[in-house]
Order: sequence, then structure tokens, then C-alpha cells
Amino acid sequence: MDEVLKQLYDAVLDGDSKTTAEKVQAALDAGIGPEKVLNEGMVAAMGEVGRLFEAGEYYVPEMLIAARAMQSGLAILKPQLVKADIKPAGKIVAGTVKGDLHDIGKNLVCMMLEGAAFEIVDLGTDVAPEKFVEAVKSTGAQIVALSALLTTTMPNMKTTIEALKAAGLRDKVKVMIGGAPVSEGYAHEIGADGYSVDASRAVSLAQSLIK
Amino acid sequence: MATRFSEYIVDRPQRLAMPIGIYAGLEITGATVRQAITNVDAQAKAALALHEALHTAVVLTGMDLSVEAETFGSQIRISDNEVPTVVNRLVKSPEEIRALPIPKVGSGRTPVYLEAARQLADIGRKQGIPVLGGMIGPFSLAGRLFGVSEALEISATDPQTLIALLEKVTPFLIDYARAFRQAGAAGVIMAEPAAGLLSPRGLGQFSALYVKRIVEAVQADEFSIVLHNCGARLVHLPKVLESGAAIYHFGAPMDLPAALKAVDGKVILGGNLDPTAVFYSGTPETVSAQAIALLDAARPYPKFFMSSGCDLPPGTPVANIRAFLDIVASYSN
Repeated sequence: MDEVLKQLYDAVLDGDSKTTAEKVQAALDAGIGPEKVLNEGMVAAMGEVGRLFEAGEYYVPEMLIAARAMQSGLAILKPQLVKADIKPAGKIVAGTVKGDLHDIGKNLVCMMLEGAAFEIVDLGTDVAPEKFVEAVKSTGAQIVALSALLTTTMPNMKTTIEALKAAGLRDKVKVMIGGAPVSEGYAHEIGADGYSVDASRAVSLAQSLIK
Repeated sequence: MATRFSEYIVDRPQRLAMPIGIYAGLEITGATVRQAITNVDAQAKAALALHEALHTAVVLTGMDLSVEAETFGSQIRISDNEVPTVVNRLVKSPEEIRALPIPKVGSGRTPVYLEAARQLADIGRKQGIPVLGGMIGPFSLAGRLFGVSEALEISATDPQTLIALLEKVTPFLIDYARAFRQAGAAGVIMAEPAAGLLSPRGLGQFSALYVKRIVEAVQADEFSIVLHNCGARLVHLPKVLESGAAIYHFGAPMDLPAALKAVDGKVILGGNLDPTAVFYSGTPETVSAQAIALLDAARPYPKFFMSSGCDLPPGTPVANIRAFLDIVASYSN
């Protein structure tokens, strides 16, 4: 691996936003292609972050600052990716369902998915089913990611899936869900395509859904 | 340290069963969550109704982890059928944290909880039933004021700012716990869920250290801190124990049999059936089966009580709580 990409990888892993941005610029200045910078420098590092999280060596703070560092690098890299017509791994509309204001789980999932080169349309919290429908229509997303932390709001995941069906979009998108009160069984019950127990595993789930 | 409540747990013929939460009592009284969190009588009646219907060995006040943040000035969203949620970040910078006044206990909705505790303690005293108040822990309160994601981030990048906020919330929490003690509660369940998202080292630095200060200020023979952490795993256990609470209560992520083995009878642990998967979504039969599995695993350990791993959500069927209590009682017999 190029030395500068190794330094970029380490900076993301350390959650060092400033160095990450500097190394992305340095890599581009050295003539390394934006796709290679993205995949070998940052996506690989975020993959390692996920592995370390699953292994119990990283915790949520380390994951958050690594994702923040990735974002600082992406801010510099994105125009180059667009210029080179590099497509994202997929497009995902994400949000916490209607009535629910909790965002940490959803934010973590978005950050980790972005770290795996997905394009994220984050609708925020308390998102009505019709907003998910509109976003899928306007963005052409392949996946809808729904989050809920409350037993009283988790039924809105089903309502959202029904709204996608009613809009004729259900066959065009996969739906993945997550959050403290939901489970694999609940995903099956409401007709979602997948469930992830945490943000790291949400990446592999999204990758499998989009294949 | 051994407290009266810890003796109450251990020195009884049957394993204590203490599901957390009073909102199922609303199913009996017909009041809404909104009423229970804003009105002393509605809250006390729900707690009492649950106790009378199920003959619980402990009476709890409501668990509402927005009341302290609201007292500091956070906006909250209240609804009829869900516990309140904090809407906004109250402070976003070191300057705002420095300027943040520490509110007085007695402002906001704290009197609802304190007066409910006083009323219930008066009744509990006559029946020999202990009453526990509910309050938030320091890191979780800091997270509600600063944003949970943001508080977690600065735990790694700007610990001094987080410490400045913890220095603001801890004196308030000491006063709040003290007010529960003065109200006659046998203790408080201090909920520190967000601390389970920290690394073990972070938990020690940004949670246990401050819980310890509260414990040292208020814990006494007649007043126990029951430290609840529904996010903690076995790897966190040594740091959680540094807080010095008399009793610990864990959620579903904790490997309780392993934790019981690790503490070797030095402290009391409780938990940890999943409040949603087991109590809310289950049936009396599945609740009983899950409870038996945990009772079997905890059989060698006397310093253990059976509980839900977290607050039971509104709408949890009373029949499921009854099944839990019945199976614990019959298992012990």
C-alpha cells in the first residue's frame, strides 16, 4: 500500500479528522486516483473499525470519531469522486420512524454505511412514512433503513413498509431495521428484508441486500 | 456496604423478584403516561395499583429519565402513551456548559417524583414494603444535556469539556438523591444506560467516578443506591463496581451468571430479562420459561434478585408481570 494511504488508513482508525483530511489531499496531490483513496484508505479503515467493534476492542466513542474522521476526508474527496464518475456502493434512505426522536443508533448506522462507500440520505428522526416514500422516489435508493427505540414507535416500521407497498415501491427497495426493541423475528413479522443488531453488522447486511 | 435494602433482598425466604416500572399499573388505573409523569396522585396510584394487584415485594416510583434534564432547562416531548423524550441539546460548547446554572431540586417536575416517593413510603412503612425512587445517572444526564452522540465523542476527543459538564450535573444529582432519602425512600434506582456505550476505561472515568461521589454523599444504612446500567457488558463490570453502590442492576447485554461468579458474593446483582422481547412481546408462558432459565443459572448465588433488564415499557401486559412474579415465587418454594 502507498505510504500516504497507510497514513490515511491509520488516521481514520485513530479518529484523527485533521490528519485524515490532510492525507486525503496528499494522496490526491500524489496522483493517486480518488477511488483508490476511498477504498484503500478510508473504506478499508472503516471496515477495520467495524471489526474492532465486533471484537470488543473498539467502543461507540472510537467508532464515532473514526466515522467523523472519515467524513472530514470525504468532504475533500467527494468532488473528485463525482468528477471521476465513481458511483457509491449503493444509495440508502435512513431515518428514525415517526414519533421517535432517538438518533444515536441511526447516526451510527449512517456513519458506518457511509464508511462502506454507501451514499446516505439521512431523513433524521420522527420521520413520517410518506417522507420515506418521497425520499425513495426522489433518490432512487435501493435500501430503506428504519430505526426505532421505543415499543410504541416500532409499529411505525410496519406502517412505513405498508406505505412503500401502497406507493408501488416495495419491490424496488429492500428494507432493513434496527433498534433496541426490535429483533430478527420482528423484522420477519413486519415483512422487512433484514435486521441488524448493531451499526457494524448493518454494513454487511446492506451489502448482502444490495447484491 | 450492606444496607437495609440489601439485607431485605438477601434475608428473605424467597428470591426477590423486582420488575422495574410502574407504567403497567396504568393499565389498572386507566391514567395516561402524561398524567403519571405530571401528577403525584396518578403516579402514586399506578405504583400502588401494581403493588396491590401483584403483591410486589418492592414499590417503585416512576422511571422518567427526562425529568432531571428538563429541570436543567431541556425541552422535552410528553405524550399520552410514552415516557418523555428530551428534544434538544441544551448546551453545545464549553462556554455554554460554564454558564449553565445548577437548578434547585424542587423545581421542574422533581416534586412530582419526590412527593410520590413520600406518599408511597408512608404506605410502604406500614406494610414493611420498601419504596425506591428513580433517577438518572451522571453520564446519562450529561448525554441528555449535550447530546448522547456528542458526549460520547468528546469522551474521546475533549474529556475536559465532558468533565466540566459532569461537575455541573453531579451536585444536582446528589441533592436529588438526598431528597428521595428525606422523602423516606429506601433508596433509588439510578439509571446510567448511556454509560454502557463507553469503553470500560471511559465508564470508569466519566460515570463510575461521579456515581461514586453520589454514593459517598447519600448512601447509608437506610438508603441504598441501586445502580442500573442496561448497556453494560461483562467487560465493563470491574469499572461499574468502582462506583461503590450497594446493589447493581443490569440489562440483557450482561452475562449475569458470569457476573455473579466474578463478584463472588461481594455485592448484590439483579437483572436481566429483556423488557421488550420477554415482558412486552412475550406471553405468560414464554416469560415463565425465560425466568426459569435465569433462575437455574443463578441458583448458586444468594446475592441475586430477579428483574427486568430495564424499565418495562408502557403497554407491558400485567399478565406477563404476574407470570414472572409467580414463577419466581413457585421456583423458590
